[in-house]
Amino acid sequence: MTEKARVLVTGMGGVLGTRVAQLLEARGEIAEIHGVDFVPPRRRLRKAVFHRIDPRHRDRLRDFVIEYAPTHVVHFGVYEPASRMSPGAAAERSEQCTATALAAAARAGSLEGVVMRSGIEVYGSGRGHALVPDESVPPAPRTGFGKTLLRVEAIASAVGRRNDVPVASLRFAPIVGSHVPSPLGRLLRLPLVPVSAFSDPTFSMLHPEDACRATVQALVQAADGPINVVGPSAVTPWQAARIGGRIPVPILPIGWGGAASATELLGAAIAPHIIELLRYGRTACPSRGLDLLGQGRVRSTPEVLRELFEWAEIVPIESVREAA
Amino acid sequence: MIVAQAREIQIDVDRVAPAASPLALVRRRINGRYVVDPFGFDPDIADLASPVVSATVHIDVEGTEHIPASGPAAMIMNRGFGFVEPTAVSLAVRRAVGRRLRVVGLPGVPFVNGVALRFGAVSAEVGDVASALRAGHLLLLPLAQSWLRTGAGSSPLALLQAMRAYPVLPVAVRPSGPLGLPLRWSVRIGAPLETDRTYPIDDPLAAAELGENVRQNVEKLLGRSVT
Repeated sequence: MTEKARVLVTGMGGVLGTRVAQLLEARGEIAEIHGVDFVPPRRRLRKAVFHRIDPRHRDRLRDFVIEYAPTHVVHFGVYEPASRMSPGAAAERSEQCTATALAAAARAGSLEGVVMRSGIEVYGSGRGHALVPDESVPPAPRTGFGKTLLRVEAIASAVGRRNDVPVASLRFAPIVGSHVPSPLGRLLRLPLVPVSAFSDPTFSMLHPEDACRATVQALVQAADGPINVVGPSAVTPWQAARIGGRIPVPILPIGWGGAASATELLGAAIAPHIIELLRYGRTACPSRGLDLLGQGRVRSTPEVLRELFEWAEIVPIESVREAA
Repeated sequence: MIVAQAREIQIDVDRVAPAASPLALVRRRINGRYVVDPFGFDPDIADLASPVVSATVHIDVEGTEHIPASGPAAMIMNRGFGFVEPTAVSLAVRRAVGRRLRVVGLPGVPFVNGVALRFGAVSAEVGDVASALRAGHLLLLPLAQSWLRTGAGSSPLALLQAMRAYPVLPVAVRPSGPLGLPLRWSVRIGAPLETDRTYPIDDPLAAAELGENVRQNVEKLLGRSVT
């Protein structure tokens, strides 16, 4: 990375995009950081500049990116269904943001590298799928989110090939944290957690801070190709519910539609990719991601889960007043 | 290979540990603070069943000095009855070096698959075999089915390709009870096979040669003339 690097962060308004911008601000070799999203960041940014542009306004986004002419793109404009928007809107925004921002960045002529958010949903799960796929396993997504991620990866790879620049697709495990809008996190915090009646498959998670650190490392190291970024170890849905003191509710295969409606009423909509996780599991070989981040420095899945549940503790206001 | 699953429990999923007390096991089941690795292996359940299996399956073992004490390796064996032979080899490895053997292959039956995964099975998908070796596990790959014949059979090429970068040991298992009855089992473990390093790692011809090499060595260990 040159000392005059100009970084564009798409999806900067999200928790992850904002945190990545903060980590980039701390690095001296980056001259400018500009970001776009349809909502503003919720944390203070000292050096990075935010531009409120909805990815659906493609002309505005394209004109801005061409004028800025970034050397590097951190592409977090990939939105998870049922996280901040409906599955349809998430797929539409993700694909439009990817195609417009990356094509414009390439056309501006200064592009040197791209790091993009993807997910291990691209591998799919169930019969005929590897339980713990590594990066060499051909993606075969079965859900809308997985298919969106694969299309987005294909667009980014095409931009990389045509312009001869490295494109790192970070395939994150489900990112769950106390402050991250995540459908899986919301579901696990319900008092009753739906689990599969006939199986108890394993799944892994990733701490948001590790996801952001991996993004910055991939950018600095000019990483190329797909990289699984997964918290070591795994848990099962039944086990996750019990660790949090929740009650697992076994669901028959035909009952997931009803379960999804019930949890939506309770404020935790379950998208199809979450149902797939609960029924067939979701994990991946973490070796390449651990090499990127440094062995032993990535929070394990049980640690991520523990942090999710511990956040629920509330400090009574009376105690604070007494202390004062 | 330590899996830190909960604040108070640290279990190495690769090495055999003394079984926890029944009360502690029940408590862990209720509060969810037990260990499951990404492949679905549950050491608590495996350790609970181990004494029963040890008392049921009787084995004589040769060549235990070839089993690696740590690190990834693949053991390739003949198969006759289907599930008893892998159990016999698992017991042999457990007694010799205190490691847990991960058997490649699932029965393909819903629910039974889940139980097999809890006992340490790994699916026969190439991606899973590659990931298990990369994670440092000791795998057992039964050769193609040869019901009641205890022949060597042939090896799935794609799986051999995934294990070319790791030590490969041939293993022969056969009934050794009176009149050849399966009341007692003989487990013979051969030395790690030499692999031709001049081929690229993903060369299918090299995997085919390795497969043939394994078949010949398993036949030798079974005490048969190689054809």
